[in-house]
This record gives sequence, C-alpha cells and structure tokens, in this order.
Amino acid sequence: MAEQQGFMERHHFLLRRLHSLSGIVPIGVFLIVHLTTNASVIWGAANGRAAPYAADAAGRGVATFQHEVNFINNLPLLLLIEIFGLWLPIAFHVILGIVYAMTGSKNTQTYAYTGNKRYLLQRLSGYVGVLFIFYHVASLRWGWTFLVPNGTEWSHYFAASTLAAALKGEAGMWTTPGVIVAIFYFIGVSLLVYHFANGLWTAAITWGITVSEAAQKRWGYVCTAVGVVLMGTAWTALGGFLFAVDYDQARAVEEQIFIEHHGEEGLQKFMDNPVDEQAAATIHEAEPGDG
Amino acid sequence: MSAIATETTKAAESTRTVHFRIKRCDGPGKPSRWEVFDVPVPAHANVISCLQWIAANPTTADGKATTPVVWESSCLEEVCGACTMVINGKVRQSCSCLMDEYAPNDGDTITLEPMSKFPVIRDLWVDRSRMFDALKRVRAWVPIDGTYSLGPGPMEGPKESETRYKLSECMTCGCCLEACPQYHLETDEAAWATSFIGAAPISQARLFNEHETGAVLKADRLEALMGPGGINDCGNAQNCVQVCPKEIPLTESIATIGRAATFEAFRRFFQSR
Repeated sequence: MAEQQGFMERHHFLLRRLHSLSGIVPIGVFLIVHLTTNASVIWGAANGRAAPYAADAAGRGVATFQHEVNFINNLPLLLLIEIFGLWLPIAFHVILGIVYAMTGSKNTQTYAYTGNKRYLLQRLSGYVGVLFIFYHVASLRWGWTFLVPNGTEWSHYFAASTLAAALKGEAGMWTTPGVIVAIFYFIGVSLLVYHFANGLWTAAITWGITVSEAAQKRWGYVCTAVGVVLMGTAWTALGGFLFAVDYDQARAVEEQIFIEHHGEEGLQKFMDNPVDEQAAATIHEAEPGDG
Repeated sequence: MSAIATETTKAAESTRTVHFRIKRCDGPGKPSRWEVFDVPVPAHANVISCLQWIAANPTTADGKATTPVVWESSCLEEVCGACTMVINGKVRQSCSCLMDEYAPNDGDTITLEPMSKFPVIRDLWVDRSRMFDALKRVRAWVPIDGTYSLGPGPMEGPKESETRYKLSECMTCGCCLEACPQYHLETDEAAWATSFIGAAPISQARLFNEHETGAVLKADRLEALMGPGGINDCGNAQNCVQVCPKEIPLTESIATIGRAATFEAFRRFFQSR
C-alpha cells in the first residue's frame, strides 16, 4: 500500500507545512512590502527628500513612489528574487491551496459560527485572490493591455501616472471599465489582506505555536491588528492612485526623475520607443554618469 | 388518591401535539423519504420518549400505517453518544434534547435526520464503525499487555489528571465529525485511511500521548496523524469545539498534536537515522 502512494501522499506532511509556511514567508512578507511601497504614494507626502521634485503633497508622493520602484528595480539578483521568492512560491501556494480547498465543504448555514465563516471566507478569498493576482500581474506586468481600461500600459519609469491610468482609464480620467477595475482592485486586495491575516492566525495552530484557546484568542488579536493595519495600508495605496494622483503632474515629476537617471537624451530615446523598456535599461547601463 | 388523579388530569391537559418530521431509510443504500408523525407530547418529554411513542404507534400523520422508526440509544443521559442525530438541522444527542425547549407549543414541528457523515443502517441509526477504526489507527490505548507484570503505573499530578479527565469524556458520538466541513461521508472503507480523520481521534491521540505509559506509542500515533487524512487536513473551522456535547477542548487537542507533529518532523529530519 505504502509503495502505491503518489507523490502528494508520500510527502503529505511536508507539502502541507510548506504550503502553510509559504503563505507567510515569502508571500506574506512580500504582501507587506508591496502594499507599504504602494502606499508611499500617500505617505511619501511626508517625505522631505521628495520636496525638490514637487511643491505639493501629491507630487512628493509620486516622487517617493517612483524612488521606491526604482530601488526595487535596482535590487541585485532581482530576477532570481522574483522567480524563487515570488513566482514559484505563489504558484506552489495557489496550486496546493486549490487542491486543499477542494477537500472542504460549506456548512455555514447550519453551523453559523464565526470560526466556520472565517474558514469559508479563507477559501473564497483564496479563489478570488488568485483571479485578482492573475489580472493584476497580467495587465500590469505581462503587458496584456487588452485587459486594461483604455489599453494603458504600465511603466516602471512612470509608475504612478501609468498605474492611475491603468486603474481608472486613459490619462487618469475615470471611465466605466475603470470604475469596474477599481472596484475589483478594492475587493481583491481586501480579500488578500484578510487571507493573509487569517492565515497567520491558523498557521499558528497548524504549527502548534498557539495551543490553548486563550493563546489562540490572544494571537487572534495580534492577527486582527496586523490585518487592520495592512488593510489600511492597502486602501491608502489604492485610494492614493485612484484619487490623489494627478496624471499630468505625476508625469512631470516622473520625467524629472527619469532625466536625473538617464539624461534628456535617454528620455527622448525612451519616448521614441516607450514599449521597449529594455532599451531604457540599456541606456542606463551605457551612460551611467550622464544626467 | 384524588391528588394523584388531579396530577394525571393536569398532565393530560398539558399534552400538546408536535409534528415529527423524520427522514427515513429502509436500509443501507436504499433511498430516503420523509414521514410526519403527530405525537402527543406531555411535559418534560425528550426526543427519545417521543420516538418510543412512535414505535408503539407507527402511523403517520395522514393515517397511513408504517414501520416503527428505528434509532439507536443506550444510556439516556448523554454519556454513551449512541443516540446522536441531526435535530432541526444540527447534530446533538436526542436523549438530552428536551421537547419543552425544542417544541414548546402545540402544533410545533421538530425534524429528525440521521447523521450525514456516516452510512445509514436504518432510519436514524447510523454505522459509526469508522470512528472505531480511527481510534485503532491512532492507537488510542495504553499498551500494558505482556507476558509479565509491569508493576504499578506511574504517578500523575492532579493538574495533568484534570486535563486528561476532560479528554477522556469523549464518547465517540460523532458530533464533531458531523459539524466538520473537512470530514466527509466515506462509504468505501478503503478511503478511511486517507480521508480526514476528524477531531475526536486526534483528541484521543493527545489523551494517550499525555499518559505516562501511553506515551510509548507517541511516535506511532504521530506517524498515523502526519499522513494523508491526519492532523494537517484540519481546516481550523473549529466547529468541532462548538458542537461537542462534553465541551472537550478539541481545538486545543488539535493544536497540541500539531505542535507534537512539528517537533516529530524536526526530530525525524535532524535526528533519526
């Protein structure tokens, strides 16, 4: 019997525990970093070092966000970090998560306890979260612009302005598809934050860190606090791109930062061929001292 | 004499009619059907006493003669777990289910169904042998059988004794499994080994792991619970602890076994040969 077991059965314990762990490290950690980075479009208003780029709060936010994006893009081994720290763990967590969620059932109508609703929402938020992440990555990262309102393509170098446009519509003006996308972002990101906070709570039971009911309750307060703060961060970020960013002003700030890194000539080259972001990177390599 | 007569008259006066909607099934694999019985319910009745009346008067509300409704019961004081069934949609023991609470008024309806996570033998009687199988899988016993006397057992502190006493109150009734969204009906016995084992046997594994002598089988119990259908298949909905009639801290037991499994995994990886 034991020899006939499949891979999933033979490594049942390891896979289950890796699934639990991967939700916190690296995915949960990435979620915190990602949302904090995005929220810099708002908290960047308090960033004095962004003052030279813009006189007002919104401009400082845009400048700070662009600096954060540039910082990430300049990380060493970024591609490896992405593959092994993000893509593979997320794919692993998603695939096993769906397999495990399929073993569950729904009985919240009969047993309408809070814990049971939490259990159900954890699975629902997983499913919706996967759809949201897919849309998020496909539309902004893989350049599937047919999924984006008015076909805006997001750019690493004009991060805030193109993001605002990709969420709302061309040049950051609200369009009907833009409203739908914005609502989908709100729902998607909120569910993912819930998924993380609740997963943090259940992981402590899974690993046997919180054993007593009192300990589970105490850790529940901590996870709730983490969830509330992270939810606030997520909504700040989303609200910032939807309501605070002025497209034209953001574009001007970002061009200023681009020129600082790549020079006027670099900007000109990039504007001539904006789709080819690789070209801009080459410019950066070739003319490090320029600008 | 007259006092007794008065009492009797009072009881007769307070008798009310309650409609019993019962999900019936003639045998394993046979289709289910609903039958309604109008039962004269006196004060202080419980579901079992009403089922006894139906057994004596097997006629449906619309006057059709039928077979007596079959159910299982034994202790009638919520200690054996045999009479567990789904009452008004929720699992519980029928002996401790008081009619004055569930159907206080004339014309009230009460619904009885067999548990859905176990194969029906007949009517409200289900086959819970999978639970016994689970207890065997997790070796829920203290191994003392041998060819010579093992001498007196180890001393146990009052605190540990108190904790384990609570766990020992489990009567294998199946409430925790019926309410669990991760526990499913498995008609094929071969699936028992890989389908989620549920809270009760996990808690029993903890009970015997925490017994000084029982602890010698700890690694075997964890081995059984670390595989498919074991501890990791728990989804933390925590319905088990909500419906447990004995108020056993089942979620604490699950976390305790989860912790033991964590340490066991590290021990195996870093220590075992």
